[in-house]
Amino acid sequence: MKLSLALGAAPADGWRRLSTRRRLGLVLLGLLLAVAWLTPWLHDADPARQQLTRILESPTLAAPLGTDHLGRDMLARTAAALRLSLDMALLSVVSAAVPGILLGVIAGWRGGWGDRVLGGLADACLALPGLLLVLLLAAIAPGNFWALYVGIALVLWIEYFRVVRARTRVLVASPQLEASRLLGFGPGYLFRRHLWPELAPQVLTLAAFGAASAILAMAALGFVSVGLRPPTAELGLMMTELLPYYHEAPWAMAQPILALCLLVLSLNLLAAKETK
Amino acid sequence: MSEILLEGHALGVHGEGVSIAPVDFSLARGGRLTLLGETGSGKSLIAQAIMGTLPSGLAASGELTIEGQAYAAAEGATRRALWGRRLALLPQEPWHALDPTMASGAQVAESHRYLRGLGRRRAREAARRDLVGLGLGLADAEGSLPGELSGGMAQRVAFAAASAGGAPLVIADEPTKGLDAPRRDAVVRLLAATPQRGGALLTITHDIEVARRLGGEVILLRRGRVVERGPAERLLSAPRSDYAKRLLEAEPSRWPAPPPPPATCGEPVVEARGLAKWRGGRALFRDLALSLRPGEIVGVVGPSGCGKSTLGDLLLGLTGTDAGEVKRAAGHRLAFQKLYQDPPAAFSPHWSLARLLDDLVRRHRLDRTAIAPLMTRLGLDRELLARRPGEISGGELQRFAILRVLLMEPRFLFADEPTSRLDPITQRDTLALLVELARERHCAVMLVSHDPALIERLCDRRLVLGQGEAVLAPESLDAQAV
Amino acid sequence: MDAINARRFGSRRFPALGAGLGRVLLPRLLQAGLVAWLVGTLTFVLTRTLPGDMAYRIAAGRYGHDMVDGAAAEAVRTELALDQPALLAYLSWLGDLLRLDLGRSLVSGAPVIEELGHLLGHSLGLAAVALLLSLLLGPPLGLAAGLRPGGALDRVSEAVASLLRALPPFALGLLLILLFSVSLGWLPAAGHGRSAHFVLPALTLALALAAVSSRVARHAMVEVSGSAYYAFSRTKGLGERLSFLRHGLRNVALPIVAYLGVQFVTLIEGVVVVETLFAWPGIGHALVHAIVARDLPMIQGTALLMGLLFVALNTGVDLFCHGLDPRRRQP
Repeated sequence: MKLSLALGAAPADGWRRLSTRRRLGLVLLGLLLAVAWLTPWLHDADPARQQLTRILESPTLAAPLGTDHLGRDMLARTAAALRLSLDMALLSVVSAAVPGILLGVIAGWRGGWGDRVLGGLADACLALPGLLLVLLLAAIAPGNFWALYVGIALVLWIEYFRVVRARTRVLVASPQLEASRLLGFGPGYLFRRHLWPELAPQVLTLAAFGAASAILAMAALGFVSVGLRPPTAELGLMMTELLPYYHEAPWAMAQPILALCLLVLSLNLLAAKETK
Repeated sequence: MSEILLEGHALGVHGEGVSIAPVDFSLARGGRLTLLGETGSGKSLIAQAIMGTLPSGLAASGELTIEGQAYAAAEGATRRALWGRRLALLPQEPWHALDPTMASGAQVAESHRYLRGLGRRRAREAARRDLVGLGLGLADAEGSLPGELSGGMAQRVAFAAASAGGAPLVIADEPTKGLDAPRRDAVVRLLAATPQRGGALLTITHDIEVARRLGGEVILLRRGRVVERGPAERLLSAPRSDYAKRLLEAEPSRWPAPPPPPATCGEPVVEARGLAKWRGGRALFRDLALSLRPGEIVGVVGPSGCGKSTLGDLLLGLTGTDAGEVKRAAGHRLAFQKLYQDPPAAFSPHWSLARLLDDLVRRHRLDRTAIAPLMTRLGLDRELLARRPGEISGGELQRFAILRVLLMEPRFLFADEPTSRLDPITQRDTLALLVELARERHCAVMLVSHDPALIERLCDRRLVLGQGEAVLAPESLDAQAV
Repeated sequence: MDAINARRFGSRRFPALGAGLGRVLLPRLLQAGLVAWLVGTLTFVLTRTLPGDMAYRIAAGRYGHDMVDGAAAEAVRTELALDQPALLAYLSWLGDLLRLDLGRSLVSGAPVIEELGHLLGHSLGLAAVALLLSLLLGPPLGLAAGLRPGGALDRVSEAVASLLRALPPFALGLLLILLFSVSLGWLPAAGHGRSAHFVLPALTLALALAAVSSRVARHAMVEVSGSAYYAFSRTKGLGERLSFLRHGLRNVALPIVAYLGVQFVTLIEGVVVVETLFAWPGIGHALVHAIVARDLPMIQGTALLMGLLFVALNTGVDLFCHGLDPRRRQP
């Protein structure tokens, strides 16, 4: 009884401590996640199945969000595109954050030549604007999800690395760490009790921003037709495909734009710090 | 002929969580008034109420008369026209009060130019004269950015900039914060010049010595209320109120004389020979030799930047020596501990004290039952354990720090100005406890302080680290009891 | 006194404008070299991963399908050095790059350098107009909002900025086209030539930039007006206007200008998608086209030029900050 109370209290307490912005972002993201993953369960339609007899239909019971220029079900396609974007975001953020944080802590803690080498590597990755690098990698393997993923992760890890390194460097020289070291605590403890509580909020913010960047990058490349290839349901690609049919089916055109904006908005809201 | 420059009638401040009870005061030409009180007594708010710069959420009440003109204290904006011309404010922490991207000379010259209407060239000359008059070499200050100035120099530049408009009434808000004794005295001399020129000075300070040197009238504040007021000579030598008595007794020079040091015996816990450390091309000290025995209390004094903390790091093995060697008693790796100047900075702010203590107990399989009696000794309530380091007072947290190091059964403790951020009464109690416990447990203590009187009252021996080029005066580290 | 007057005010210690310039330029020069190497290497890898019949297809693209024979394909293969061992080819590829020999476009057959010359002008024009527009929109709005944090203007501009930041430039451009060209018919949707053509693409980029710079300016203004030196300037008696001019402006400008460096990433990325969307004949458009057509020399040329443009713009920001902030000029 007591345990369940405690468990129930903890998230509620966390929720109360969130700013209005973050709450809004969390709700919005939750809704989008629900649409993305519940749709295949509730609405049985293949996002790739063309029905040329039913093109650009208005929303009906059979196709709640209408159909596109090839008669494909828009709800299924939008949900599939959302899943793809969220997959990309999750994958690239995780694979950028883990090495970024790890290397940042090591570089900030140890200093010396390792720090300089890693710093140089980060600068090298930043020499080109991120999208340009992703574009060139995408050109090497056209239409490949994994090439995009590698490019995006390669751009994203730097931000974690820099922020974590700077913060770690300050903390390692701080009295609180020195005191704990004198008291005989090892690196694991120092990380758990001193570093991580300071880093976690910043990493969370970076993760939300990074997810938004990853989603935007993939959509931008899809939009200019150098990203994923048709018939994949991808938000940027869908916009390009549906643009010519704006007059006949404005609702279809609106869906990928709205989905993308809400997704990015929810992540930006989550990343927002308290402003005074 | 005493013309009144500033008069406050029932001047009070209230709002979010603070209140200053109404206070009356008057300041004549040539007069000096000092508001004395510990941090958090709300004394700075009075300066802000006079200037009309209270932060939103706070409101002033009462009346002010400035050079015969009456103002409602609540209407802060009415005093803006006086700023710089009739009313000068010398800010806290002058380093931050100077524009970091503008040359110091220009920041003084602009006051001459825009307040006194001097031309560009004449304003420059006036600023130059001001700076030279304050003992700042031209090359030192005029073209330097504030970031390149020392604390004392920045204070003088800020003083020149604030007083260039020729305001007769000067308000100095904690003008000596963060300055060591010689620099503090220089600032006091600078301030004292204002009433001597026929102006009036209102000083806000926590430093009894500053109040004593300035003289004039003193108003002693505590928690937003006037505790006692009167001429400085009387109040600071024969106080009437209880609080004033305790406050004055807490001044190190009035502490009871120390008991004769116990005969120290046993092998030295830490020894250094031929120790040297350089920083920025100059020696902080060289050829330093010392040896501390169990239970011995050694004081370290010297001006800021002379390497007091560095010496501690060397003895604790936190940093390497440039020459010489440090020998610590063998077999006690964790028995060399440190107390920090700023207690909150020495704890991770995210965890409760109970959690942090528990970590320590588990890490070294310590005896849990030792904690409760030690907490009682240190006057620490059990309830504090549930709080985080930022949620208890500085004095309590420093006693927790003492508790934490004592659990390690230390042989040597380097206490780096452990009480300089605490109010005088707490300082005295904390240090007395520290010394008592260290003696009892045969732990050698090296106590750093900028206050020679404090060292004199507490320590068996004294180590003076030199100034400038400086080297330790080796003879001062003999076995003499000071 | 004369001796004092003889010297210029503060001339001895106050850092001169030229002090420490090397520290600014050297890293940027290094970055430019890095950009060239990175672009060169990536495009070289590209040449090596081309599918087998690529030479035929490129030759077909250049000479027309009827004209393709073994010899034409062979010519393309030689041009891309596909017949040489990898390391040797790589070195000669970088060597060509070093001599700024960017080769000929596989599609049009014209030298890449010449093509880039035309493209650069168009892109620079668009970027300059967009940047100027964003600076006219963002910072003034941010400063006004920052003077009254929490006020109506602050809240409205924050809400608008959040929405704009959630809209990627291509979606924003799309909406602008739908609104101003398709629905209202006021402005041309795509193309180039008249000044009316500038409006929508420049506005798209400018809005994306201003959404961020207005918030940066707002935070800088709040920071500066809450600082001890700003308060001191006021209590010193300088008054609101003089305090802002003498101690506010420079300190507020510093973070805004410094952040421009970060915003150039947005600008360059925006140029790629916005030019494509509006069919603007600039480098970004050409890069996308080159990637679709697998025109390797053009990919290299356009990516290189964009990278170098990025470095040049950042160098400009560095120099501006260097002039603005005397702390950066200290030894």
